[in-house]
Parts: sequence; C-alpha cells; structure tokens
Amino acid sequence: MGVHVFGKSIKHNSLVSVGLAKKIFGVGFLTAERICAKVGIYPQMRMNQLTEPQILAINKELSDLTIEGHLKQKINDNIKLKRTIGTWAGQRHAAGLPVRGQRTRNNASTANRLNKLDRHT
Amino acid sequence: MRVSLSLLGRSAWKGPHVVPLPISEAIKTGAPIRTNARSCTIIPQFVGLKFQVHNGKEYVQLEISDDMVGNKLGEFVATRKKFTYKYSKN
Repeated sequence: MGVHVFGKSIKHNSLVSVGLAKKIFGVGFLTAERICAKVGIYPQMRMNQLTEPQILAINKELSDLTIEGHLKQKINDNIKLKRTIGTWAGQRHAAGLPVRGQRTRNNASTANRLNKLDRHT
Repeated sequence: MRVSLSLLGRSAWKGPHVVPLPISEAIKTGAPIRTNARSCTIIPQFVGLKFQVHNGKEYVQLEISDDMVGNKLGEFVATRKKFTYKYSKN
C-alpha cells in the first residue's frame, strides 16, 4: 500500500515530509519540509491524506531540483572529472581508498565500499 | 537553495591563494615555471603554461588544462609512492 510520488511508492501512513526525505535521493528533511510548506501541506499530514492536485504540485516542485538519476549522474561526473585531470582525490577514488587523509593501516572499510569512479551505477 | 556552497571554503574578501610566480616570462618564452608552492591556486591565467611542481624529492612536469582551474598545484603531483610488493627470494 503506497502513494506514488515522482515515480516512487511511499508508505501510506508516513508523514509527507518524512516520506519524501526517505524515498527520494537528493531530498533531505530540510528540503522536504520546504517543499511541503511551499505546496501548503500542514506538517502533521500523512501520505494517504494527500489529494491529487497536491501530489501534482509536489511533483512539479521536485522536477525543478536535481535529484535521483540526475544527481547521481552529476556526482559520478564530478568524480570522473577529478580522475581525468589527475588529481589526488581522483586517484584515491579509483583506488577505493580514503580521499581526505584518513588512516589506511586499518579501518578504511567505508571508503573501500563507497569510493569508486562509478559511485552510483 | 544553497547558493553559497562554492564559497564555503574560504572568505571571499581574501581572494584565491596565489603566490607571485614569473607568469609573464613563461608566456613569452614558454619555459616551465619551477616552484615549490604546492598550495597555490590555479587561476585562469595559468592555463596552457607548464609547471614543475616539487613533490618533496624532485620537480614533476605538469601542463595546466582548462579543467584544472580552481584546484591547487599540489593536487596534481603526488607526494607518496604507490605501494608495490617486491618479491625477494631470501
């Protein structure tokens, strides 16, 4: 059971701002609250209480932002640019190692998991 | 929503960190600029010039392209050697 906003199924009993922030990549709690305020949704409103015009208005607000695929593409492009011009940060991404001078003797598992040239595939 | 994000690094009134370098000479002669100033920001006037940047041991040749503007000179010259396992019999 979900409400479809911006091509995503959001749980019907979650708060609107929380649901948007949790499901849409690139929208956090602050942005979600701002969108809700702009569209005119009171803060305690749940997903299943949204009317059709309100969903359309939210979609319109979201389409102005760089989110989801576009944002992922942008992040990948930024990393690739660093690699092609040959910066240290780009080399560290390619090697899967921490970028900002953290230790690598142990505890570099987050970097090993995340630092790639294709971070978001 | 976040207009000032690109300015978050450094106060705007300071301008970019640039050290005096013989740029006008280099434009005339095309000779590489030898420098130890790794923290110097690359400004648009540097594009197309050759630099020799110190890596702690020797000067590494580097040509500045358009994309590099805004980064530091030292970012393009690594100070660490990459670890390679050397096999030895004994």
